[in-house]
This record gives sequence, structure tokens and C-alpha cells, in this order.
Amino acid sequence: MTIPKEESVDLRLTPDQEQFRHEVCGLLCEESVQAEAARAFRLPPNEEPGLLDVYRRLGERGWLAVNWPVEYGGLGKTLVEKAILTEEMIAHGVPELVHILSIDIVGLALSMFGTPDQKRRWLPRLASGEGAACVLLSEPDTGSDLSALATRAEPEGDGWRLRGRKMYNMKAHVADFGLCAARTTESDARYHGITVFIVPLRTPGVVIEPLWSMVDERFGDITLAGPLMTAADVLGDVDEGWHVLGQVLALERTGIELEAKGRRLLDALVAQASHDGTLADSPYGEHLVELDALVRAGQLLSWRALGTVADGAADTTLCAMAKWHVSETARSVAALSSDVCGLAAALSARDEDAPPGWVVESGYRDAPGFTLASGTSQMMLSLIASVALGLPT
Amino acid sequence: MRVSLSTAQVEIGQRFAELVDDELIPSIRRMGELPRHGSAAEAAAEAVGAADARSAVWRALVDLGATRLLLPARFGGEDAGQQGAVVLAELLGTALYQGPLLDTMIAAELLAHSGDAEAKRIAEIAEGAAVPLAVRQSARDDHARPGPFEVSADGETIDATRRFVGFVPDGSYLLVVGGTMSGPRAALVPREHPSVSYRLHDEVGRGGLYALRLTGTPVLSWPDDPAGSSAAWPRVVAHARIRHAAYLIGLCQGALDLAVARSGSRHQFGEPICKFQAPAFRLAEIATQIEAARWLVRAAAWDADSGQDARLPAAQALALAADLAGATVLAAVQVHGAYGLTEDSDIQLYFRRAHIDRVWMGAPRNLRQEVLPLLAEALRARHRRPSPGGAQT
Repeated sequence: MTIPKEESVDLRLTPDQEQFRHEVCGLLCEESVQAEAARAFRLPPNEEPGLLDVYRRLGERGWLAVNWPVEYGGLGKTLVEKAILTEEMIAHGVPELVHILSIDIVGLALSMFGTPDQKRRWLPRLASGEGAACVLLSEPDTGSDLSALATRAEPEGDGWRLRGRKMYNMKAHVADFGLCAARTTESDARYHGITVFIVPLRTPGVVIEPLWSMVDERFGDITLAGPLMTAADVLGDVDEGWHVLGQVLALERTGIELEAKGRRLLDALVAQASHDGTLADSPYGEHLVELDALVRAGQLLSWRALGTVADGAADTTLCAMAKWHVSETARSVAALSSDVCGLAAALSARDEDAPPGWVVESGYRDAPGFTLASGTSQMMLSLIASVALGLPT
Repeated sequence: MRVSLSTAQVEIGQRFAELVDDELIPSIRRMGELPRHGSAAEAAAEAVGAADARSAVWRALVDLGATRLLLPARFGGEDAGQQGAVVLAELLGTALYQGPLLDTMIAAELLAHSGDAEAKRIAEIAEGAAVPLAVRQSARDDHARPGPFEVSADGETIDATRRFVGFVPDGSYLLVVGGTMSGPRAALVPREHPSVSYRLHDEVGRGGLYALRLTGTPVLSWPDDPAGSSAAWPRVVAHARIRHAAYLIGLCQGALDLAVARSGSRHQFGEPICKFQAPAFRLAEIATQIEAARWLVRAAAWDADSGQDARLPAAQALALAADLAGATVLAAVQVHGAYGLTEDSDIQLYFRRAHIDRVWMGAPRNLRQEVLPLLAEALRARHRRPSPGGAQT
């Protein structure tokens, strides 16, 4: 594993970063924001939060994509400020999925690989919180082994027509566009011949159907029935999409989002056990102390991985370690919730008996996805075994 | 927040890596071992050889500054703090170092609380006077709950029975810690005195653990004892737990390194066993857990050096490292196959020593139970900050 550049270990934020955190918290604590977040948590089944007003308000201040250049709607800060925003949104119960997809994944990919025209066209709208984007990678029969994808980009004139089906993506129904991986060239080298396209989703030839799931937010089932793509819609180089995807997944795999969710869920369990007076006598007390240590350790791994990405030298193995650790830990926290809280853990946030801002029940339903999304735990272990330990696979 | 080593930590690591390098590690691993086979004459000769090897390593550690590392600058020390000490402790654990250094660091830290009154003995420690710690009367005592001792009315002598005292013959002094009605007290006594007798335990680690008997032993000083007990002892113990946790992380790393190497050389079904996912994934999991726990330990050291109450992070870090050590040596022996059970294989040394070192400063369950009340307090403190996390809970 490569060791990032050595600087003083400092687990504090700089005064500027602390100030940023303080200001973000100030906004997120406002009554109107908390009311909007609470409404989002209590939406009826089959409804889910889309572009919230709080995104627009964060966007107005340049905070939503704080690490982007000013010309694209950010403040030119670093990934550290971006991670602070993510942690605080989650800690304050603000739905973060649209934001993470739009800014951290799609926006990052456009920032890294987009042409000036592409950036000008798409980034400001995402940064303002008035537009959203999604990722179209997985297919009915393709997930971990993305190189086996069946979606094809068939040449036509100067461009391509996309044909295929994308599944298990999220927020496509509120997104303006998606990043779609499709095969442009048949190749003996599995990872060559894939191209990433920027696909406008309100286009003839793109059909979006909901695929309802266990979690509050639906999957999209997208049929690509031949929308026409041109060279201007290609992100990065034709046939070199694998490189784009690898870089983009690195940030997602720092696990900042999941460590923050693990912390939120664990704090909810400890708070509940403290509140009902069972913490001291709980047979699970020791387990909570252990999980608290694991959540903290995962946070350190995530921030360490984030540091390598911020330095422009993303350590993909370290990212894989962080992603594996925080997702497995968050899943363990969720698994313990009914032991600690009893059947209160079964009450949805909508139930009138649930404590305010109750995240425990939805956390349980979210948990299996933690170790599946953005690369399964098994994919992470495979990467760690082969790269960090040097074991042949 | 930057999660990486400081320049000072990197320097300490490089300095001591000279001693704990790949060539020397195999002999250091076995230097604590006393011979158990062969004739009495051979055993006696080997015992002399083992003592000589221990003495040479001790001298080298002192020359490289190990005994000065923690001492404040006013005592001629390096003032490297817990953050510096954990780097060294980790290296020592990797090599399975057996000797009085970690005990001596505890004694030095306590003596430093007495200020100039102990300046002369602190200087002796800096020069290489080792101070083993005698804390246990019963097998379940530990540093936080030391066994009782009897103090003469004039406070000039003590009577005590102590077991599981490390490397008694290597010590210039002994620090005998006893539980009293007013709290823990520590007595510094001479090691060589007619009132001091000891015998070697026959134990699983085959290292230097002794049973000790003190009868009317003169007390040279009562460090940090203004009111008949040591107010600093809990803090000293918290710091010692962090260093011991770092030692355990090193032990885990040493065992993992052996297992990874063995998984490449042990063949079954015509393949090295690392080609099979079951062992490869288990090793990848352990590597990740070690990396996470390593940073938790380093963060606890950072907490301690920042003047924060380190009792919770210290106990959490130690409990995590201890559980991990138990799991790691079991998995590492398994990867070795039957060869791992033989005297020829070094992994059995890790397995033996882990049985003791895992609970040396308190068993994981006891540690977690001890700090459980601090967990809810930490949660409240987090939510009291101007930038609350998890405000919705």
C-alpha cells in the first residue's frame, strides 16, 4: 500500500474548516430545514425525497459542491470541506442520496474527465441544487463484473445509439442526466472498449420505470431504446471508460457517507438505551462500546483514504479497506438494533409511537445495501488480498 | 483532519526499524524464550545465551533512545508523547519483543509525576535502568485493579505477594503497585535485596514471567503519593493501555505477515492456498481490521497528548486490539496447517504470547464494562458541541 505524503497527524479541523462546519450546522439546524428533513423521513411508502429546498439553499452559498471551482458553483475548497458537508447532512437527518450521486460521483467524474463545454453545461445546475444526476452502471445480469455489461453503443452516422437495460440505479426519476457505461468496441481485453456517456434522461428512447425495493428509495429500471449520442456526450475517451469508472468509484469508496450513517445509527441506539435507563445494565453495553470503537476506527480509515484522494493520489486499496470496514460495521450496528431497543426498533419513523427523527428502523432496511452498493464486500476483499497483500487471485 | 503519521513519528519508526528489521526479527522473536529441551547443562548454557541476547537488545534500545522517548525534556527526555511511544511499541510487537521496556515506560511516567524528587532515578532509567512492574496478587488482578499489599506503620517497608511479573532479573528496581482503601499506591523497591525472592512461572508464553515475594522490603520512594495514593495512576494506566494496544497491533501484523507468506508457499490441490478465496479473504479481512485498529490506537495517543481524558479511547483501543490479536493468531495458525503447530514454526510463538498479552492490561470484556458509563457521556458531549452530530437522535 502506498503511504500518502507525511504531514503532521492532526485529528482536528483547521479553524477555517471548523468555521465551515459551524456554519453548515447553523443552516441545517434551522427549523425549516429540520421540518423538511422530518417530512422526508415520514413520507408515505412509494414516495421519496427528490430535490429538497435545503439543497438549493446550500447551493446558493456555494456549499453544496464546496470543493468545485467558483465558476462551476463551488467555493474552490477541498474534499475535506466536502466530507464535512456530507457528515453533517447525515448527522442532521437531511436526505443525502441525491446530493451524493449528483456531486460526489457524477460531478466528480465530470470535473475530472469532462471537457470545458461539458462542465459548463452540467456542473452549475448540480452545484445550485436545482438539478440532479445519477449513475447507470448495473444491469439485470451485471453488477460486480461490470466488464460483462450487455448495453451496446451501436455506431450511427457520427454517433451511437444506446441499446440496453440498466437496473439497480437510484434517483433516475429525478435526475436530468445519467452517466451510462456501454460497450462501444468488442475486445479480447475485457476492460477495453467500454465508453461512458452522458445521457440526458428526458429524451425519447429512454424509459424509466420504478423497481420498488426494501428501502425507502426505489431503484430505477431504465430501458435504453436507442437514444442518439454524439461525441459531445462522451465522458473521457471512447473505449477508455474503465479508467473513468475506476477513478470515480475511489471517492465513493472512501466510505465517508457510510461511516456517518453508522455513527448516526449507533448514536441513536446509545441515546435510546440511555433514555430508557437500560444502558448501564444492558447485556449489550459492552457490544455498544465495541461498536463505538469500530465506528471511530472506520471514520479514521475513511478520512485517511479521503486524504489520499484529496492529494490527487487516490489509494484504491486503502479506499477498499475503508469501504469494507465502514459498511460491515454499519451493518453490525443495524443488526444489534432490536437487541438494544426491543421492538421499538421495528417502528417506522411514521409511527406515532416512534421517537422524533427515528432512524433505527430505516437503518435496518438500509443495512444490507451498505455491503452491496459501490462494490460488494467480496470485491473489496478481493482487491485488498491481491493488491495490499500481494496474493494472486 | 489529516490521518497520517507526523514527521516525528516517521523518524521514530525509521530509527528503531534499524533494530527491528527483517533479518533480526526472527532472533528477537525467540530471545525471550527460555530453553525447555535438552540436558540441564545445555539448558543452562542456552539460558545464559538467551539472557545475553536480551541484554544486547536492551542496550541497543537504550542507545537508540527508547528509555528517553516518553520522558519530558526537563529530564533529558525526547518528549515524544504517546504518539511517539506507540510507533515504537508497534514495532516491538511485530518482532514479539519480550523485555521490560513497556513496564519501564509506565514507571518512568509515574515517576515524572513526582517531579524533581525523582530526577535522579529518572536519569537512571534514561540511562538504561529497567523497572519491571509488580501489580498482580491474584490471576485476575490488573493494572487498574492491583492486588493489595501491606505497608509498615512507618511506611518504610512493604510485604507483598506478586505473580506474573515480567523479566524480574532484568530490573534495577521494581515498581510494586497495591490497591489500598484510599486508592492505588506505588512503591519503588530495589530488585536486589535479601527480602526479595522470585521464581520463574512455567507458562504458555515460555517467556520471563515470575512469582515474587517481598517480605519487609525497604521502600526507596512512593512516587506521586502526596496523600497516600497516586492520583495520576488512572491516567498513567490509560496511557499504558494505549502503548500496549500498539504492541498488540504490532503482534497482529507480525502474525499476519507470517500467515501471508505461508499462504503463498503452502500448496494444496496443486495451488498455493492463497489462490483460494476462503483463506485469502480471511487474511484480507484481518489486514483491514489491523489497519483500522492501528489508527484507532494512534488516535487515542493523539487524544492523550492533546490533554483530553483518554480513558474511553484507551480502553476501546486496547479491547479492540486484544480481540483482534486473539482472532489473528488463530487464523494465522490455521493458514499454516500442521506445520504451524511445530516448534520450527514461528507462528506458534505468536499464538502462545497472544494468550497472555491479550489480557495483560485487562480482559476486553472488563475493559468495555469499565468504560461503559463514559460512552453515554461521550455521546452527550458530541451533541453539546456547537456543531452537533446526530442532532436528530
